[in-house]
Amino acid sequence: MTKSKELLEDQPGKEILLLANEAIARGVLEAGVRIVALYPGTPSSEIGNNLTFMAPHIPNFYFEFSTNEKVALEVAGAAAVAGVRSMMVCKGPGLNVAADPFFSLSYVGVRGGLVVVVADDPSMWSSQNENDSRYYALMGNMPMMEPADPIEAKSMLLEAYKLSEKLELPVLFRTTTRVNHTRAPVKFGKILQRPNKIEFEKEPFRFVPIPSVARKRHPWLLGQIDIARELSEKSKLNFTEGKGDLGIITSGVSYNYVIEALLIMKIKAEVLKLGITHPVPEKMIIDFLSRHKQVMIVEELEPFLETHARRLAQLNKVNVEIIGKEQGIFSRTYEYSPRIVMNALNKITTRNTPINWEEIDKKTQELPELPPRPPLLCAGCPHRATYYAIRTATRGKAIYPSDIGCYTLSISSPLETADILFDMGSSITTACGLAEVTDQDIVASIGDSTFFASGLPGITNAVYNQHRICVVVLDNRTTAMTGHQPHPGTGVTGMQKEVPPLDIEEVCKGLGVKYVKTVEPFESMASLVAEVREMVKWTRENHSPAVLISKEPCALLTAAERQRAGEFPPKYYVDSEICNACKRCLNRLSCPAMYMDSETEQAIIDDTLCNLCGTCVSVCPQGAIKREETVNE
Amino acid sequence: MNSITSNTVNIAITGVGGQGVLTLSEILARAALECGFNVRVGEIHGMAQRGGHVVCTVRIGKNARGPIIDPGFAHLLVGFEPLETLREINLVKQGGCILMSSHVQYPVAVSMGHSKYPSHEEIIKNMKKYTDRIIEFDALELAVKAGSTQALNMVMLGAIIGTNLVPITKEVALNVVRTAFPKKFEKINVNATKLGFEMAQACKK
Repeated sequence: MTKSKELLEDQPGKEILLLANEAIARGVLEAGVRIVALYPGTPSSEIGNNLTFMAPHIPNFYFEFSTNEKVALEVAGAAAVAGVRSMMVCKGPGLNVAADPFFSLSYVGVRGGLVVVVADDPSMWSSQNENDSRYYALMGNMPMMEPADPIEAKSMLLEAYKLSEKLELPVLFRTTTRVNHTRAPVKFGKILQRPNKIEFEKEPFRFVPIPSVARKRHPWLLGQIDIARELSEKSKLNFTEGKGDLGIITSGVSYNYVIEALLIMKIKAEVLKLGITHPVPEKMIIDFLSRHKQVMIVEELEPFLETHARRLAQLNKVNVEIIGKEQGIFSRTYEYSPRIVMNALNKITTRNTPINWEEIDKKTQELPELPPRPPLLCAGCPHRATYYAIRTATRGKAIYPSDIGCYTLSISSPLETADILFDMGSSITTACGLAEVTDQDIVASIGDSTFFASGLPGITNAVYNQHRICVVVLDNRTTAMTGHQPHPGTGVTGMQKEVPPLDIEEVCKGLGVKYVKTVEPFESMASLVAEVREMVKWTRENHSPAVLISKEPCALLTAAERQRAGEFPPKYYVDSEICNACKRCLNRLSCPAMYMDSETEQAIIDDTLCNLCGTCVSVCPQGAIKREETVNE
Repeated sequence: MNSITSNTVNIAITGVGGQGVLTLSEILARAALECGFNVRVGEIHGMAQRGGHVVCTVRIGKNARGPIIDPGFAHLLVGFEPLETLREINLVKQGGCILMSSHVQYPVAVSMGHSKYPSHEEIIKNMKKYTDRIIEFDALELAVKAGSTQALNMVMLGAIIGTNLVPITKEVALNVVRTAFPKKFEKINVNATKLGFEMAQACKK
């Protein structure tokens, strides 16, 4: 709803409601960033989703959807080495993918500012883990900032570029889901101009870290971190507020919860809020610890600041009680809320919480068990048809390695076609490993965007080592889960330019796959099932990999296209004269647009939800599901 | 508003992915900002949107810093669907208000016969353990009357304003609605907002 067009407005002082991700996209303009490269990943997705539509309208600006995060950091990193302000954006697991260039970049350093935005996901709303990316800053010796809300997301970003250029080091800009996906009023600042092309000045004995170079760069890096620590001591991003016997150290989104908890419980405390969390301002922390008998550390996930505080207290012989995760007062899992802070305050001050949560929890536990409503493949999703065919053809007996995307939702009953998953691209490679140690058939599935991001080395490996695996590429012509970004197979770039698309079938053939076919999942269910059977048989006989590409655009794209065109195609319905209430359609497809009439037990199609794929027609043994002949509405 | 929440109005909005919960939250917050209030919206994107349970928060007032509404802290719980409203019932504060559309959308677990959808009586009975203030009406019916099932969320917007529990005027809300959508949907969305408003006003009496 917030138009990327609004983010382009040159109106300093204007205040609008922005997600932190939108505020960061705006910050790109205000910081004069010349290039942004990223692979989409929730909770960071809206940064790229806005920049791609802003990019064609910004002079001297380049934006790309890179094929994956490692590529993105190398693209942005090189531009920063050349001397322009650059940015790479990823989700937590994406930084793991980009870890290799990440560590080299701090050794060689940068000439133009480089900010690496990483969005961690406490509570794992849309991620496979909740690892705490702050340790990357510690391990890679990269300065780090943590904004607490959308307002800081923009203002701190501008500071991150200044710090990066002062130190000639990349800066890690660490956010969490509740920062990225919070909206708040954000004020626009001035837009900074960007340079056009610059000359790359060679300095190979800095930028090529052969051992003799790297050995010199490591002490340099540690020296820069010492300078950064001095800057951290003086920075306005690290500050104290309030007064009281109790001390609280916090950073990021937890800061908000601390302030709200103190207000609600009317407790006086001095709060040290850290915006720069690597290197931490050591003198400031030591002084703070020395001023208080008790200091509580409030941070989500790992005891990062807490360990620093304990280390500094021990080194400087400060007599202070540090309260945090080590005593179990705070948890190392899941996101926090004001309640968690208030419960901790209750334990250490004996001041009552404003309401009795135990009572509410008890009452809630006494509620009847409610039917679950987990996320599902959408009505009309082509993956449903493909997975139905895979399951039918292999009678549920094959091993189904899965991958990262909407299709991981096939884990649920009744499709149940997700058995193993590590990370992006692991469907193909886990299949390789399983093929060597079992005799079971293996049908891996991977989406089109994930295929280009991380699938190619797996395919190459399977061809080279002759693994007998079946790979189904679910080609829905987009990166659906993160909000429909283009990828190398779509023929559109981050600059909204049309380019020749990479053809998955040709790519697989080029990599040496001998069995490659493309099918359309909505054409005929019988032939789709037959195709899967044939592929499984072929891999058994030929002991090498086979690829089946199931190609059909995402149902959400198709539906949006229909709406734009003002089309109302004929609807599907269940003929109640013919339906014998066998419930096969309901039980085998789990389509959100179908439900059971509680009296007749017949299936009913909710035409407000149906996306017109017609898969249910071929699943009904009675032929009871039909399509209206005339167009209505 | 009372001393506990110190000048902040907490609104939790829940429904099924695809019903327009996120859009409603943003429009409501824009209207609050337009009326001169500080505001925070909490959203969950990605995996959570695919037809699953969704909950968004809108917090209006000076002391709203973070996006989260803890159990027992929502002045208003807005539900697009009865089951999903009951699922978040612990958020509503004692004596808070529930605004709920009565139109049922069966989860797949129910369609497949794995689970039973609670009866209307059961839903209301359980809600009343938390608060007696329940405003219930069929918002989908009003959306259809306004011109599109997709205007369901704007019916709910109108109804939220109609409860008089949020410091937003009907005029400001309608202005935001007018500018938020493409021109061709303006009439439907404005009508939907008005119908929702009138319904909530009538229910309150």
